[in-house]
Amino acid sequence: MLKLKLLAILGCIWVSLPAAALMPVIGERAPEFMGVDSKGNPVSLSDFTGKPLILEWTNHRCPYVKKHYKSGNMQRIQRQLTEAGAVWVSVISSAPGKPGQVDGAKADALTASRGSYADKILLDSDGTIGRLYGAKTTPHIFLIDAQSTVRYMGAIDDQPSTRKSSLVGARNYLLQAWQELSEGKTITLASTKPYGCTVKYSDVTD
Amino acid sequence: MKFFSKSILAPFFGFLIACASLPAAGAELVTYDASHSRVSIALEAGAITPGETGWLAFTINPRKGWHTYWKNSGDSGAAPIFEWHLPEGLSVGAPLFAAPERLPIAHLMNYGFKGRTTILFPLIAAADFHGSTSTVGLTAEWLVCEIECVPQVANWDLKIPTGAELLVGSVSDPIFIEARSLLPELSYWDSALKIGQTQSLLTLYMDESELSGLQKAYFFPETDGVAIYNAEQTFESTPDGLIVHIARERGAVMPQNGAGVLQLSFAGSPDQTFDIEPKLAVMPKAEVRTNVGHLPFWQAALYALFGGLILNLMPCVFPILSLKAFAFVSANYKTATNRRREGWAYTAGIWISFMAIVGVLMALRAGGAAIGWGFQLQEPLFVGLLAILMVLVALSLAGVFTIQLGFEGSGQQLAGREGAQGAFFKGVLATLVATPCTAPLMAPAIGFALTQPFYTVVAVFSLLAFGLALPFLLLSYSARVAAMMPKPGAWMEKVKQGLAFPMLLTAVWLVYVYDLQTGAAGALSLLMVVIFISFSVWLWGQTQSKTGRILAASIGLASLVALSYVSFGAKPSVHSESQFEAAYSEKKLDELLESGQPVFVYFSAEWCITCKVNEQIALFRDETQAALRAKNVQVLKGDWTNRNDEIARVLASYGRAGVPLYLYFPAGSRDAIVLPEVITASSIIDIL
Repeated sequence: MLKLKLLAILGCIWVSLPAAALMPVIGERAPEFMGVDSKGNPVSLSDFTGKPLILEWTNHRCPYVKKHYKSGNMQRIQRQLTEAGAVWVSVISSAPGKPGQVDGAKADALTASRGSYADKILLDSDGTIGRLYGAKTTPHIFLIDAQSTVRYMGAIDDQPSTRKSSLVGARNYLLQAWQELSEGKTITLASTKPYGCTVKYSDVTD
Repeated sequence: MKFFSKSILAPFFGFLIACASLPAAGAELVTYDASHSRVSIALEAGAITPGETGWLAFTINPRKGWHTYWKNSGDSGAAPIFEWHLPEGLSVGAPLFAAPERLPIAHLMNYGFKGRTTILFPLIAAADFHGSTSTVGLTAEWLVCEIECVPQVANWDLKIPTGAELLVGSVSDPIFIEARSLLPELSYWDSALKIGQTQSLLTLYMDESELSGLQKAYFFPETDGVAIYNAEQTFESTPDGLIVHIARERGAVMPQNGAGVLQLSFAGSPDQTFDIEPKLAVMPKAEVRTNVGHLPFWQAALYALFGGLILNLMPCVFPILSLKAFAFVSANYKTATNRRREGWAYTAGIWISFMAIVGVLMALRAGGAAIGWGFQLQEPLFVGLLAILMVLVALSLAGVFTIQLGFEGSGQQLAGREGAQGAFFKGVLATLVATPCTAPLMAPAIGFALTQPFYTVVAVFSLLAFGLALPFLLLSYSARVAAMMPKPGAWMEKVKQGLAFPMLLTAVWLVYVYDLQTGAAGALSLLMVVIFISFSVWLWGQTQSKTGRILAASIGLASLVALSYVSFGAKPSVHSESQFEAAYSEKKLDELLESGQPVFVYFSAEWCITCKVNEQIALFRDETQAALRAKNVQVLKGDWTNRNDEIARVLASYGRAGVPLYLYFPAGSRDAIVLPEVITASSIIDIL
């Protein structure tokens, strides 16, 4: 009985400790997520341990996303990184009724029609994963290494524009981070300001 | 004048390409209807003068209910983009935006303008600029959003007339008057912006009288990495002036400048906005250290195993190990099977305790608590209970009463069997007292493990536990060592009683820690509780009657309740700073590094025996202190006796989850030299 009482007291201490949101931080472990992909399969961060992972927040109706897909720029990057051994997961956090929200079939159709090299499309219509990662825009990129450490987050490149002409001579932050990561160097620009359309979260704020 | 517009819009944008329209009159160069907004461009005075600065106004009028963005768009959105193609002799300066508004969207926050807004551009003509009309090419891209966003793109060739006397009357063009009235005022106060890990502090050196009636202050930073845009900002009036507290995302990009717009709301008057360019002070970047946590697994595993082995030599586990050694004396009189069983029971006791502590630690960290190794000792209640346990064990050894824990031998047989239960309990005790000690190699292994997935954590900590258990486990397998053990006899009772004293010393140290955590009154209460509980245990042993036992149990329970009451109300006592060192804070370290001084930072805790030993044999030695003073090294102490998120973060950025940590920043450097966990006076003096 004494033991139980003590346990209860200790339990109270632990429960009363403040809980803070765990946003991704460069050099630290990526937040664990669990979701469902376009095929209806469960997906979680730990599925990808052992392989570098790219999370790309996307919305096919967003003009900034369109710039990268219509020009073939995004597909080129996806192909380069997936062929080098990375896993590419596109995440759609648009809420039901908001622009860019799709079901699994539509997501797969988009992947096919756009020629995307994404390995999985994660459907996050309640925005849980988006909020967990602090995803703000489409596109918003996270590069997570094989040990699940966040290595890069932010914009895909340095051109916050919807014009295709902005791709010429753009400095691609993701490719640069990837290059430095694979050479074992310190990543020079590990965090940048993402640009693009607001992720279309539901208005119910937490 | 001739105007035309052309668009390079790709067809997928799907909005209308507007036609060029002729200027209505006077200074207006262009009006342009894009799909979701109307733009007009005007030239002040209708002309530019060589050697002077003329002004262009770019006015965006979005559809009703739609908005456009400031130069920092906040969480999402996009600032307008302007690309100029200028003839020689003409240049365009930085654009001036109106003071922005906050535009919340879901849980995000954008900065922009709800209705019409004008951006002013200075157009600077060189003194020798000539030509009557010049063509200035402008490509503009501006984003208009309601919920969905529509980018608008257009380009124009603007015909800019030159001449001093043209359209003088249009200086009073209302578009310019209005635009200038909406610009933030230039601030005449000095200001500073300090970027910490999770907070930015903006200080405006104002007179306190200027702050009377201030109700709200909000800072719109121009660059990313200063603020969490959707977080509320708070302010305080101090004798120094106004301080605005701005939450910042840990690990966010480091801003390159601190400029922005400060909005002040005074009672009874409209909001005022000020353009400020505070002096920026940034803490050393955390990403310099990102590779620290990336020990290969095999290395962390090896470190853990050897760290655990070395832990056997550290002072904290000594009292328990002496108990274990004492129990081992009887090894000669046990069967090999029993010896081994006890060896494994001891190992299991250590392993299970490690797993329990790590499990709780991981659960709490998953909940967001910034805690690390040794966290349980930051809870006064835990320290108090551990002190009580030590006293009870000591009293039991001394023979005041008997708790069936295994050291006392079974019955009167002095060489009595330790028993698997007793061995297990010693394992638990060894782990409990071992956590305040950090052996060499352990710190990087623990620091690494706590950033890894669950199974890696289990693997690393299992090896650590195994390392700690290994010496006695090996001994339990050796028949030869067992045969060397002396013959049991009456002497063992005396040795057993003697062993009570190191246990009491451990308790004294725990009371000292408790005193620092709760103050002198707290320590007094703990000592009283210790005596009451000892009494209740003794009473329990003495009496067989039901009433006696109820009385004993009630005294014990009441004491524990009192202890938890004292522990929860705990207020850490204030530590006095020594003459040559200051308390660590990110702010203080930053100031010192800024001034280019060499800085020695040590992170310590009162419950950390390794820290205390290092301090006595290395840091506080006269020759070390003299060397530090001779080199004018500033010493900062980070005290982790109690929970402290700021210190937990610093430790984590160096790949550590616990104290001690010793850092030396040579003069003018922001990169620290990390010293080993066990230091000597010469290892400090050598790096200075």
